[in-house]
Amino acid sequence: MAEEAPPLPWKADVQAARRGDPSAFESLVRSVQRPVYGLALRLLQREAEAAEVAQEALLRAYQNLHRYDDSRPFDLWVLAITRNLCLDLLRRRTKVKTEELEPMKEVLPSGDVSQLERAIATEERQSLEEAMATLSAEDREVLALYYVQKRTTKEIAQVMGCAPGTIMARLFRAREKLRKKMTPAPEEAAR
Amino acid sequence: MTPHLCPDLEVLFAELEEGEGPALDHAAECEACSAVLEEHRLMENDLYRLADPLPPPTLVASVMARVAAEPIPQRREVWSGVAILLTSLVGGLGYLLMNDQALGRFGTGVASFVVEGRLFAEGILSGAHALWSTAGLAVATTLAFLLLTSLLGLKRLAGNVPTPSEA
Repeated sequence: MAEEAPPLPWKADVQAARRGDPSAFESLVRSVQRPVYGLALRLLQREAEAAEVAQEALLRAYQNLHRYDDSRPFDLWVLAITRNLCLDLLRRRTKVKTEELEPMKEVLPSGDVSQLERAIATEERQSLEEAMATLSAEDREVLALYYVQKRTTKEIAQVMGCAPGTIMARLFRAREKLRKKMTPAPEEAAR
Repeated sequence: MTPHLCPDLEVLFAELEEGEGPALDHAAECEACSAVLEEHRLMENDLYRLADPLPPPTLVASVMARVAAEPIPQRREVWSGVAILLTSLVGGLGYLLMNDQALGRFGTGVASFVVEGRLFAEGILSGAHALWSTAGLAVATTLAFLLLTSLLGLKRLAGNVPTPSEA
């Protein structure tokens, strides 16, 4: 995974959007909508709530565009807003009621693979998704950002507001929990 | 290799990231550790294959509809300031008009300013003239310094904000 941050292709759009150009902001929304919605869905595990939070995060990004620091990647900034909104919602949700999380079933697709590969991988992917869904929101977000969105630990640290070293440790713990869920107990005991 | 000699998993995976280390050397000869690494590799392969779901097709339109209803953030701040200023002015004027005593004081104040203002201005000018003739250079330097620091301060406060015409 590349550690170097890409250039800032959104800078011109951000400046134009700050001057009140709606098409520039629309272009920004289009460029980040998938990771924003993806993270929200991984954390909230409900499509309607994820769409609502994604919408709210993008609106807040617009409202606070004058506070955004151009030197930081725009997508990471919006992801951080999304994450905070999701965590707020999760906190409120646990206060209201504790309930079984719905399995995401076919909601989350695999990457671009051929039809045959997809058919072969469907079963494993589904069990992986189901195992991931049982993890905590913290574990899900670090796995989603690292493996699904292919972010570096440095980028994840920016989104989560902590040190990159912490991300490595969190990633290890999350992966281990996932591995244990995916591995039958006798094999684990054999080690 | 006996199981109790196997390294801690965190150490093993840290070395896997780095590509070398004694734990990895151990794993190369240990069946149990090799199995763990293989399992890890397969799981990572599956994880890397996962992708973000497509957002609802209406997401961009919904966001842009809400954005259209919002004023430009910079402009909203300016309008908030103007609204506060106007409210204060209207409040002040309302107080004056509703209160005879305050209106009387205001009238007296204006009249005394008109009468005594000229004398006051002449006094100030004569003082400034005396100061200029005795320490002109020092006064000019101080004034220039004050002007420059004020301008720099204003520029720093404004930052990269677009000009009012741009906004």
